[in-house]
Amino acid sequence: MAETNGVHAAVDIPADKAEILARPLEERDDIVVCENVHKWFGDFCAVRDVSMRVKRGEVVVIFGPSGSGKSTFIRMINRLEEHQQGRIVIDGIEMTNDVRNLDAIRREVGMVFQQFNLFPHITVLGNITLAPQRVRHLPRSEAEALAMRLLERVGIPEQAQKYPAELSGGQQQRVAIARALAMQPQIMLFDEPTSALDPEMIKEVLDAMRELAATGMTMLCVTHEMGFAREVADRMAFFDEGALVELGPPDQIFNNPQEDRTKLFLDQIL
Amino acid sequence: MTARAAPAPLPPATTVGLLGWLRQNLFSSRGNGAVTVVLAVVLVWFVFNLGSWVFVEADWTVIISRAPLYIVGLYPYEGYWRLCICLLLISVLLGMAWRAWPNAARRFAFGFGAVMLFVGVFPHEMAPDHRALLLLNLPAIGLGYVLTPRPADVSPGRLEALAGSALSPALERAAIFSTPRRKVIAALVALVLTMILILGIAGVPGLDPVNPQDLGGLMINLLLAFFGIVCSLPIGIGLALGRRSSLPILKVACVIFIEVIRGVPLITLLFMSRHILPLTFPEDLNIDRVYLAGITITIFSSAYMAENVRGGMAAVHPGQAEAARALGLRDWQNTLLITLPQGLRNIIPAIVGQFISLFKDTSLVYFIGMLDLVEMGRVSVQGNQEFIDNGREVYLFIALVFWVFCFSMSFISRRIEGVLGVGRR
Repeated sequence: MAETNGVHAAVDIPADKAEILARPLEERDDIVVCENVHKWFGDFCAVRDVSMRVKRGEVVVIFGPSGSGKSTFIRMINRLEEHQQGRIVIDGIEMTNDVRNLDAIRREVGMVFQQFNLFPHITVLGNITLAPQRVRHLPRSEAEALAMRLLERVGIPEQAQKYPAELSGGQQQRVAIARALAMQPQIMLFDEPTSALDPEMIKEVLDAMRELAATGMTMLCVTHEMGFAREVADRMAFFDEGALVELGPPDQIFNNPQEDRTKLFLDQIL
Repeated sequence: MTARAAPAPLPPATTVGLLGWLRQNLFSSRGNGAVTVVLAVVLVWFVFNLGSWVFVEADWTVIISRAPLYIVGLYPYEGYWRLCICLLLISVLLGMAWRAWPNAARRFAFGFGAVMLFVGVFPHEMAPDHRALLLLNLPAIGLGYVLTPRPADVSPGRLEALAGSALSPALERAAIFSTPRRKVIAALVALVLTMILILGIAGVPGLDPVNPQDLGGLMINLLLAFFGIVCSLPIGIGLALGRRSSLPILKVACVIFIEVIRGVPLITLLFMSRHILPLTFPEDLNIDRVYLAGITITIFSSAYMAENVRGGMAAVHPGQAEAARALGLRDWQNTLLITLPQGLRNIIPAIVGQFISLFKDTSLVYFIGMLDLVEMGRVSVQGNQEFIDNGREVYLFIALVFWVFCFSMSFISRRIEGVLGVGRR
């Protein structure tokens, strides 16, 4: 973890996060616990028997062929999809149908989508301040100050008064990241955040994610950006046909994959 | 040798200009040419005959002498000034709309002003004070324009640029309708004032109550359609939300209401409201047929509105709801803050379309004995020996009035679509 610690110096990290980050991964607590999780769509088993533990401040990149259940898996972590068997615990909160648990979990988990899903009828600033005002009940002035800080962090404070459609794809995705961060989540989910972007805009979004990883955010990223994975991920998870095939540090995945399917897939995309 | 580049080659002469257009569109083959000639002959014959009737044979005195009946029905003459004030309020709102959405509302404001000017100066029997009030509509439009600030995405007009910086602080101070809330409040105040002016209040001098049955002519068509749409929007939203609800009883109740109302013609509903519903009222309750018609039209319209709203909300991308849920918004917050606003924006053209069709449908109130524009036309012809042969003139005039209103509304709707389409989708 020495190298990620090196990046930290450049960014502002809250004291409690810094304290956790100072410890090596193995000594941190599990913030995401999945045990034998299953999910079916009709007869089709989209996620089968996935068990995974993610440490606080860890960055996990999830990759695999399309239809391998990787998106479905991370969507179960904030209950956009319901798991039908197994157990999911987020920061000590068990995922059940209890609305209070669900509210608590959604406060813990932020999400960034492939298609941005910004609200087109309100301004960039409104997109970011909406949930802090309505869910966390921040006063408007405070929510706007927070939003402006986040927009500065993702590098586009001058776009605050515009509508999403007036921004480029890369800028929209950075607004989406700021919007999710405004709820001050402990965990961020990224569902193919760069797949809908033109090539020249991918870098600006990955840079924002890199910066976020350096602040000690726990991140689960579904992405095929293998350069990003090699550089930022603590571990990588390879999904195929709904199952977690292999989970390990980037070094193992890229240089010494333990499973034939991992090797085959990497040979195809690299 | 000149250094100039060779001029771009010209297209063949037969494909450009009037001749080219004719050739391409009307005479592209021998068969097309023949069809064009035949249709042109028929068209010329038709227009010539209609024109000679309209300008030579027809006798339009009935329209001019009965104009007040067609426009305001049996509304008492002493109250005409109140209606003129209502027009002034509308003018102010139109001026505001012109300023806020110049592309959508400018021509409409111009058209309204032009009609007022025409009626105000046209030589016919009209009291001078009424004329003055009608002509006041022109400054009233200007007033609404000045009271509204220039939207940020609209560049200053020529006049404004001419007035320059000397006037701009004054203009900024005058623009009091600066927020959406203030604009809505202005519209609501105008609405309430209009109702008070039209119906009057007992005991207030000058505002003697008017018997609702004396409301008639074009005014009652417009009033019924307008209140039908305005009132059916919230009811329709409620029904649409009920139909989307996960509570089975609420959902079934809304579905039954919507499908029953949509399955019955408006004329049947009007009949029932006038002749069957009152059987269930207590004896001393006497609701005027105008209000019954208004309520019936609102109920009828809200069932259609509910389906429009539901369709508009269904068209909102599912990713929007996912984003809202991921941010921790509750379902009702998602509906009110995310899905509904986008859904309503989707259906603005449909709402205008519904208004147009409702406006035409209001002529059915003749069926419960009300004197709307069409019925007033019939009565003015059949009830008067002098005009018994002028039915054609009267109905042509009525058709023209309906067409002008419906066409201007669909024109505005298209413009609003354009305005909302920019950068907001």
